[in-house]
Amino acid sequence: MCPRVNSRAQSALSRREVLRAGGALAATGAGLLAVPPAAAAAAGPFAHGVASGDPLPTGVLLWTRVTPAAEALPGSGAGPEVSVRWEVALDEAFTRIVRRGTVATGPARDHTVKADVTGLAPGTWYWYRFRLGGAVSPTGRTRTAPATGSALARLRFGVVSCSNWQAGHFSAYRHLAERDDLDLVVHLGDYLYEYAPGGYQAGEVLVRPHDPPVEMTTLEHYRRRHAQYKTDPDLRALHARVPFVVTWDDHESANDAWSGGAENHTEPAEGTWAGRRAASQQAYAEWMPVRYEPGGRLYRRIAFGALAELSMLDLRTYRSRQAAHPLDPVISDPARTITGSEQLGWLTAGLVTSGAQWKLVGNPVMIAPVRFPSTLSTRELEALSQLTGPLEGVPVNVDQWDGYTADRARVLGALRDHGVRDTVFLTGDIHSAWAAELPADPLTYPLTRDSVGTELVCTSVTSDNIDDILGVPPRTASVGVEAAIRVANPHLKYVELDSHGYSVVEVTPAAVQMDWFALADRTDPASAARHNASFVVRAGTQRVQRTGEPLR
Amino acid sequence: MTEYSRRRFLRVATGTGAAVVLSAAAGTAPAAAAPQGPRVYVLVVDGLRPDEIGPVLTPTLLRLREAGTHFPAARSLPVTETIPNHVMMMTGVRPDRSGVPANSVYDRAEGAVRTLDRPADLRGATLLDRLAATGRTTGSVLSKEYLYGIFGERASVRWEPFPIVPVSGHAPDLATADALIAMVDESDPDLVFCNLGDVDRVGHTDLTGTTLRAARSAALWATDLVVGRFVRHLRDTGRWASSVLIVLADHSMDWSLPHRTISLRSTMEGDPLLERRVAIAQNGGADLLTFTGPDAERAEAVARMRRLALATDGVLSAHEPGQLRLGPEAGDLVVYCRAGWRFTDPQVWSNPIPGNHGHPATAPIPFFVTGGHPAVTPGTSSAPARTVDVAPTVGALFGLPEPDGGYDGTARLAPVPASPR
Ligand SMILES: [Zn+2]
Repeated sequence: MCPRVNSRAQSALSRREVLRAGGALAATGAGLLAVPPAAAAAAGPFAHGVASGDPLPTGVLLWTRVTPAAEALPGSGAGPEVSVRWEVALDEAFTRIVRRGTVATGPARDHTVKADVTGLAPGTWYWYRFRLGGAVSPTGRTRTAPATGSALARLRFGVVSCSNWQAGHFSAYRHLAERDDLDLVVHLGDYLYEYAPGGYQAGEVLVRPHDPPVEMTTLEHYRRRHAQYKTDPDLRALHARVPFVVTWDDHESANDAWSGGAENHTEPAEGTWAGRRAASQQAYAEWMPVRYEPGGRLYRRIAFGALAELSMLDLRTYRSRQAAHPLDPVISDPARTITGSEQLGWLTAGLVTSGAQWKLVGNPVMIAPVRFPSTLSTRELEALSQLTGPLEGVPVNVDQWDGYTADRARVLGALRDHGVRDTVFLTGDIHSAWAAELPADPLTYPLTRDSVGTELVCTSVTSDNIDDILGVPPRTASVGVEAAIRVANPHLKYVELDSHGYSVVEVTPAAVQMDWFALADRTDPASAARHNASFVVRAGTQRVQRTGEPLR
Repeated sequence: MTEYSRRRFLRVATGTGAAVVLSAAAGTAPAAAAPQGPRVYVLVVDGLRPDEIGPVLTPTLLRLREAGTHFPAARSLPVTETIPNHVMMMTGVRPDRSGVPANSVYDRAEGAVRTLDRPADLRGATLLDRLAATGRTTGSVLSKEYLYGIFGERASVRWEPFPIVPVSGHAPDLATADALIAMVDESDPDLVFCNLGDVDRVGHTDLTGTTLRAARSAALWATDLVVGRFVRHLRDTGRWASSVLIVLADHSMDWSLPHRTISLRSTMEGDPLLERRVAIAQNGGADLLTFTGPDAERAEAVARMRRLALATDGVLSAHEPGQLRLGPEAGDLVVYCRAGWRFTDPQVWSNPIPGNHGHPATAPIPFFVTGGHPAVTPGTSSAPARTVDVAPTVGALFGLPEPDGGYDGTARLAPVPASPR
């Protein structure tokens, strides 16, 4: 990650904050520590909505969670074994059902349901729903990927990351759900956060408290937290609207996770890291519409005809421990890794031999090198350090690829040595918007502008960024910081450190374009969003260029 | 096939005052008053990098690209050198079928490294002779001596590059464009295959290195002007509406610093099994290694060659020729360098030039189908266009049947849905 979170010094919630936390809480009259997960009875057995993910040309993964009995609450381990039926149709009224089946579930998988549907037609919209006894789920819509190798004129998808429940409402998801031009949504991680209420929120304001009201460390916690997020109406609406392609970053387990631990994990008080991580991964596999099961491989590749393929990375499971500080010589130690050698080989071999024109990489943390200028004030540097990690000496973010320069050199070297073009990293994590070229050699880039690829970074759905941390109005203090960063990093063509929201990406044979949209107020559940900026990568150029025209 | 011995010479005056001498097969008719059917011009801007096309240096190429169908995923094929890729364009088959895997190979029969510049080096038929056999007129305007050498008299009308720039062995683009225009005026071929050599040759001889590519920029600008002159001529003579231009490069270009050189010769000489028994055909970014010892020792020798090569700084990979669809002419092992490096074999001073190709970094090429023919439409395609796709594309435009054994390439006719003839 991402904004460094102060996981000590957590103030107790004031009564005012509890009241701010929302009408639902007040209406139940329940004390904070007894907040039930979503009211299952009221919403019926499908209280957590429906979702789909990982589209293939002839298949897609469907997801739901059932609450077959009042006691079958998320994380409880209680409730009966049941059998859930699913149906896939070519129309919303289900007059042309093309596939149906049955999936068994029960407390062992927290009553979550995943159906990997096959035998569908490529590039086709489908509607799906589940049945439990006489109850019928809400209807979801999904889309298969285009036929392998087929020409595709356009692919359009939402890109999001860093959605912290406690920091605001998921209006970004609502705005994406209201569009009717998206084929899917790519979530780059930090889909949920591990903190207890008061641990990490909207600056000083707790917009709505987490359930369970503790830092999640056990399987029950992780399940309940996932369940809580799936009660958000905007997230549910988006899941029901288009398939997701997801990967995790650190907060799905704990802040600054690596293969052997995490910054926000304390042994033995919080159990072993292996046990905690296994719990987080099990809950993730159960609760997310992803073709992943515990112990398996999350990194995977999804193709969209001859136009594009999307390699989704897992940059937490195999990585070496973060360097202690940015001057730590281990940053360039070739034995350290952010991907693990197997994933790195898979990534580079895939990029080099790809049959697709655009090689998109779903990349949880930034790969473009970032050096911070020495001209910034102490306060500005401190705020930046909260976004990027500790600043001492040469300021780089040791949790990003900047902290693993040998692996980055291997990836960018493969692109250059094999003449791979049109690689675009789609990145989240840093709670701010960036557009960057990837220098073949950072030292000569200012003269040659030789770039081997590009990176487009979406901002956070809600999580804090610079103006929140500095406690200043948007587009004030950050403007100068952004300018200074760009001067120190000529390959960074766009830096915007204030806004929350979402991105929309369009891929065509001629170009990839990202539009950034900013929320008016992340703490307002009805927040408006406006177009903030657009950058385009024209085919064959490995360059980012600002464009005044948002996608239509 | 054309009867090579029966030919006539045409002396044609040109707009720039130079006289161009063309040779033609007997019976080739002069241009008719109004062209019938499509006229296809394959323009190879030798060594042009796709990212060098832009509004400042190459406005004509940019305009042409925008008016036609652009294939941004286009690539050259192994070995990314001039002769094999020109041969792939005109044959539509890979080097394991054409017999032409690289510019420079070790000729086992002659026991020497040599350039593949003889007509007999190219096995099988090309578009130039197959189309001529159907009664159409084909032309070749090739700026490089070795290209003229290997394609020989296959086209119905040929221009022999002249004058030749010493050292580079090619005719300047101004002269090449004169010849192209003169040939179109004189014979109005259905197909002309034209190579413009300046951008590549200046890339090779530009000693200003990685950061200052002034001469390269000047060549890009000048070549763009001659392409513009040709297009204007097609318009002025009423040919534009029937013209299809396939514009591409045979490979791109990669610059290396003087100290980033690889000499495999010295590496191999250190091994007792390989000492004085490895012939190296150096192709800039690719070395073709042949074991010259007895067959019984070949497997072990190739394993050692591979091991030694891969342990050498700057080497990217090593391949059996068959893996790259190269035939036995490519020797026993093909070794590629990384971007920013070059081979210099057999001696450490053999290759002093900073701009090279032959390695995978130089595979991306510009490739677009443009022109005034009504079937040409603007657009961009994700299709993986390759140099070997030129022959099937042109063949489809003329309704020419596939060669024996079929094409190895694919017709890139997205912009031209129906065969106009
Ligand atoms: Zn060439």
